[in-house]
Amino acid sequence: MTQPRTCYVDISRYDPERGDQYPTMQRVQVPYDDSTSVLDVLQYVKEQVDSSLSYRWSCRMAICGSCGVMVNGIPKLGCKDFVRDYVAHKGVGRDHAANDAPALTIEPLAHFTGERDLVVNMDEFLTHLEAVKPYIIDPASRPNNPSAATHSQTPAQLARYQQFANCINCGLCYAACPQFGLNPEFVGPAAIALAHRYNLDSRDHGKHERMQVLNTHDGVWSCTFVGFCSDVCPKGVDPAAAVNQGKVESAKSMLIQLFKGSSIGDSRS
Amino acid sequence: MSYKPELTGRWWLKHGHFKRYMLREATVIPLVFLLCSLLAGVFSLQDVERFSQWQAYMAHPLVIIGHTVALGAALYHAATFFVLFPRVMPIRIANYTLPARLMVAGQWAAVLAVALLCLWLVTGGRV
Repeated sequence: MTQPRTCYVDISRYDPERGDQYPTMQRVQVPYDDSTSVLDVLQYVKEQVDSSLSYRWSCRMAICGSCGVMVNGIPKLGCKDFVRDYVAHKGVGRDHAANDAPALTIEPLAHFTGERDLVVNMDEFLTHLEAVKPYIIDPASRPNNPSAATHSQTPAQLARYQQFANCINCGLCYAACPQFGLNPEFVGPAAIALAHRYNLDSRDHGKHERMQVLNTHDGVWSCTFVGFCSDVCPKGVDPAAAVNQGKVESAKSMLIQLFKGSSIGDSRS
Repeated sequence: MSYKPELTGRWWLKHGHFKRYMLREATVIPLVFLLCSLLAGVFSLQDVERFSQWQAYMAHPLVIIGHTVALGAALYHAATFFVLFPRVMPIRIANYTLPARLMVAGQWAAVLAVALLCLWLVTGGRV
């Protein structure tokens, strides 16, 4: 039986209960094969090396969006990122442990407050998400109106927003966005993408409520189209496109208010 | 207890993507230089001597290099902008969405048309 290949991995460690002020790196040697994901590495470390390692995970199939981490400085889903892609350039089959330079550096998602090891506080993102009301708003279909017709939608109406509906709230786009890093008040890529998704939904009537948030400086206008959020999105949502389509909508909304003489964000276009 | 990582002013040096973004934004600098040169040209129209001075300025090798850089910067910015355009303003006709590649090609065709028109005007219709 052949020996498993191994490589070194640096993992960011931070435990405030131990008195840590800032994170430090822990280097570990881990076995890997062609199917070993970054999440598998973390699970190996927790089970075999140091059970105190903290990280989030759940589904292991890029659906839950829990296992977002920075791998070599790039936001990635741990379950969708593979060790083979980081060591491949050194030659398959070679024992990389012979060279103790780490193949991977795993850190918590950038721009969020670190809580412990790879766990970050997502409250800022969730606050922004809540602010844009990411759900269908239709006063006519509330439970107190049992006579309301069921929602129907054609494939063409679905196609308008489907791409933006694939968001899994993993937060990778926030870790990629320097504008969010510089200004945490920026509503941010995923929340704006979801706002845009519901604004484009033929069943929704809540656009005017969301535009109140998107029209502000911390709404769509804080985005400078760096575009890295779309590069790192594991579901192909293209939040940068959503944010900048939101700018067009915001400009239209502001123009309408200019002619109507109403306050900004009160457009019912 | 928790820690908040600070983003320093050198954040854009972290990745190639950020560097390309900053390069795209920095294209404004040579374009401002070109704009100043053209504005000076407009003001030099007041008298013949000033205009000949401006012509001499425009023929200076360093100025020609600066304006060549501005041309390169404008083309680079256009290339990045044209790719972003279909994502910001997708064109839908009924149930059909115009392919991004076609929109990018259309914008370059417009650039070529405007460039040829300018060339025709500058050469007095000889081209």
